[in-house]
Amino acid sequence: MGCEATRLAVSLRHDGELPDGPEHDALDEHLAGCSECRQFEQDAARLRARLRLEPVDEVPDIAAAVLAELRAGAAAPAPRAARRPLVAAAVAAVAGMVAGATFVGIGRSPQSPAAADIPSEVVAAQHDVQSVDARFTLSESSRPDDRRGRLAYEAPETLALSVEGGSSLLVDQDAWWEVSRRECSPVAGRVNCPGETTRWVTTVTGREPFSLSAPIPLELVTPVDSFALAATTDESGLGRRTIAGHAAVGVTVTAAQVAPFLAGLAEAADLRPMYPADPVEMWLDADHLVPLAVDVRAADDAWRPRWAAAQGVVDRPGEVVVAFTVTSLQVNEPVPDDAFDPPRGRPDATVRAGFRPTGTTVAPSPGRLPEGFREYRAGTVTTPGGPRVGVRSWTDGRAWLTVRATEGWLGGHLFGDLGPDVRPLDLGSAGQAYVSADGRLVALHGDGIDVVVSGSLEPDQLQAVAADLGVVGQPVPAGWSEATSGTLILATDAVPGLLAPRHLTGFGAAAVRVDNQAVSQVYAGPGDRGFTLVQDPTAGRLAPSGAGDEVAVAVRGQAGRYSYERGELEWVERGVTRTLRSTTLTLGELLAIAEGLRPA
Amino acid sequence: MVEELEPALIRAAAAGDLKAFETIVRAYQQHIWRFLRRFLGDAAAAEDVAQETFLRLYRSLPGFAFQAKFSAWVFKIARNAALDELRRRQRRERVAVAAAAALDSGAVSGGGTAGETKVEIEAALAALPADLRETVVLVEVFGLPYAEVSAVVGAPVGTIKSRMFRARERMQDWARTGEEAANGL
Repeated sequence: MGCEATRLAVSLRHDGELPDGPEHDALDEHLAGCSECRQFEQDAARLRARLRLEPVDEVPDIAAAVLAELRAGAAAPAPRAARRPLVAAAVAAVAGMVAGATFVGIGRSPQSPAAADIPSEVVAAQHDVQSVDARFTLSESSRPDDRRGRLAYEAPETLALSVEGGSSLLVDQDAWWEVSRRECSPVAGRVNCPGETTRWVTTVTGREPFSLSAPIPLELVTPVDSFALAATTDESGLGRRTIAGHAAVGVTVTAAQVAPFLAGLAEAADLRPMYPADPVEMWLDADHLVPLAVDVRAADDAWRPRWAAAQGVVDRPGEVVVAFTVTSLQVNEPVPDDAFDPPRGRPDATVRAGFRPTGTTVAPSPGRLPEGFREYRAGTVTTPGGPRVGVRSWTDGRAWLTVRATEGWLGGHLFGDLGPDVRPLDLGSAGQAYVSADGRLVALHGDGIDVVVSGSLEPDQLQAVAADLGVVGQPVPAGWSEATSGTLILATDAVPGLLAPRHLTGFGAAAVRVDNQAVSQVYAGPGDRGFTLVQDPTAGRLAPSGAGDEVAVAVRGQAGRYSYERGELEWVERGVTRTLRSTTLTLGELLAIAEGLRPA
Repeated sequence: MVEELEPALIRAAAAGDLKAFETIVRAYQQHIWRFLRRFLGDAAAAEDVAQETFLRLYRSLPGFAFQAKFSAWVFKIARNAALDELRRRQRRERVAVAAAAALDSGAVSGGGTAGETKVEIEAALAALPADLRETVVLVEVFGLPYAEVSAVVGAPVGTIKSRMFRARERMQDWARTGEEAANGL
C-alpha cells in the first residue's frame, strides 16, 4: 500500500467509512513504518478536535422569527400549490402520467402584498427612471468564474453595457457601437495577428428613435415587456430582501417571460442557453423596479434533459444556471460622462441605418399626448428598396412612443411588422385598426397613408394615440394576409362548437384568424410567453405520427397526445381536431388552458 | 447526533399546523444555525439563512415523500439556501473577507491561545472551496455518514470520500499551526 492510498484509507477509517476486512491490517502495517502517514493520521484527529471545539455562542431564537413571518403571511403549505390556477391544476392532471410540469419555486411562497402589483408597477415605474448606474456580477453554471459587468443609462435612450470577457455596447440616441473580440485568423505570408483575438469595433449611425434593433434594450433598465401582460393575480411573490443596499421585491417567473431581459443581457455576455420553462427568481428595486437580481434555475421538466443534451449542457433540476446580481446601483443620480464615451479609434465596420432628422415628416402627431410626454427625435428613414418612412417620437424618462408612417406602402400585408396574427379593432371615428397579438403595435391602413403606433405604454394608451392621429383606418384589402383575421363571433360560424379559454389571466386578447375553415386563436403573454389554439373541423382524427417524442395525455376526458419537440397538445373533441401549441409554455400549463376551454 | 422526528409531526406541519412546525424548527434550529455559521463563516448571515431555510422547509413540506431521512432533507435545504447566499455575495471575495475578519476579531477579542486556535480553524475553513467546506462541516462537526452527506449535497459517495481526503490534505497545515499555537510553540 503506497502513501497516497494509505492516506485515503486513513481518511475513510477516521470517518468510520472503511469497510471491515484485510485493508485495516495493511493500513496499520504501512503506518507502523511511515512517519509521514502517521503524521497525516494525527493531523486528521487534531483537525476534528479543533473543528468540534466550538465557541459557546448563544444560538439565536430562529423559531420565533420564522413563526412570526409565517403567521404574518398566513401561509399554508399544501393548499398554496393548489391555488395557483394555471400550473397546479395541470400538475394534478398529469400526475402519474408525465413527470413534467413541476416548477421549482412556483406556488411555494406566501404571496407578498407587492407581488400582485409588480406588473402594473413596472409599467408605471418607467416614467420616473431618468438614469441608472449599476455594477453587477454574472455567474453561469457553464463557466468557472463569475464575471463583472456594468449597465449605465440616461433617459431617454443612451445606454452602455459591458461584461468582462464579453462585448462592450453603447447606444447613444442615433448611433450605437459594439466592441467585441474577434478570432484573428492568420493569413499565410502575413504576421499581423497579435494574440489570439483582436478588438473589433462596429458602429451604426442613423438609428431610428427607439429602434428595437439596437443591441441594448431598455428592458435592462425597466423590464416592461417582461411584465406588461403578466397576470396581476400571480401568487409567486418571494417577499422582500435587501440587495446592494436597496429594498428589493421578488417574484417567480419563467425564463420565457423574462426572455427580453435575458436576451438584452446576452447581447453583451454571450450567455449559455436557458429553457423557456426554467423558473426565474427576479428581484426588482422596490422604488424604481430596476432589476437587482435574476436567478434562473433548471426546471424539473420531463423534456428538459433532452433539451439540455441538444444544447450541450448538463443541469441538475433546481440548479442555478444563470445568476445576475447587482452589486451597486444608483438610480436618478448623475452618471459619470465617461460611462458613455464612444470607443477610441476608427471603427472596423460602419453601418448606416438610414434615419436622418428632418424638419418635416409624413408621420402625423396625435392631438393629445400622454401626460408628461415631450417631443423627441423626428425625421425620415430611407432604406434601399424600401419606402420613405417618416418617424416621430415622444418620451418622458424611460417610457417612449413612436408614430411611423409612409405614403409609399406597396401592400400585401400591413405596414409596421405586426406579425401574421393581428386583432381587428374598431376605433370609432378613426375607423378600423389592427393590433399585434401582444398589443404593442397598432396599425392603420389609411387613404394614401399607412401608420403604425408603438411604444412602451399600455395597449389602451397606444390605441388612444392611434385614434387621435387624424387618420381613418380602412379594412385591409382582400388579398392582404391580415384579411382572414376576424373575431371569435365570426369564427363560430366556421367551427360550430368552437372553444375559447375562459378566465384566462396573464395573456392578451386573442388574435383570431379563419383559414380554410380552421380557426386559430393566438394569445400573447409577457415576454416570450404565448400560445396558439387551432380548431380544425375538416379532419375528424389526429394525423398519424411518426415522431418518437410524443406521449399519450388525457385532455378534457379525451385521449390526446403531446409532442415535446413541437410543443403541441392535440385531441379530437366533437369531431373537431383541437391543437394547443406553444414553445414557451409547459405541457402542464397547456393542459390547464385546455381544461379551462368553454364554448366561445 | 441529529435526531429524527416522528412522521406524524411532519405530516401535521405539512398540513399547516404551525404548532407542529414550531416543534420541528426548535428541534433543528441549533444544528442548522451551527452548520450555516461554519459554512458561511458569519454568525449574522447564518441567522438570516437559517430563517430562510425554515421558511423554505415550510413551503416544501408537502413535497416530502418520507423516502429520505428528514434531518438530511433539512440540511439539504439549508445547504442550498447557503449556496444561494454565497452566490449572491460573490463567493470567493466574501470568503476571503470573512477569513480576514475572523482573524481580526480573534486578535482583538481573544489574545489567548484558545481564541487563536478558533480563529485559525475558521480561517482554514473559510479558505476551502464551498464544496469541500460543506462536506467537512457535515462530517467533522455533525458526524454524518458519507451516505447522508451524499444525500444532502447531491454528490455520489465516492465524491464525498475524495472531498474529505482533499479537505484534510488542505487543512493539515492549519491544524498543525493551531496545535502549535495551543501549545505555545
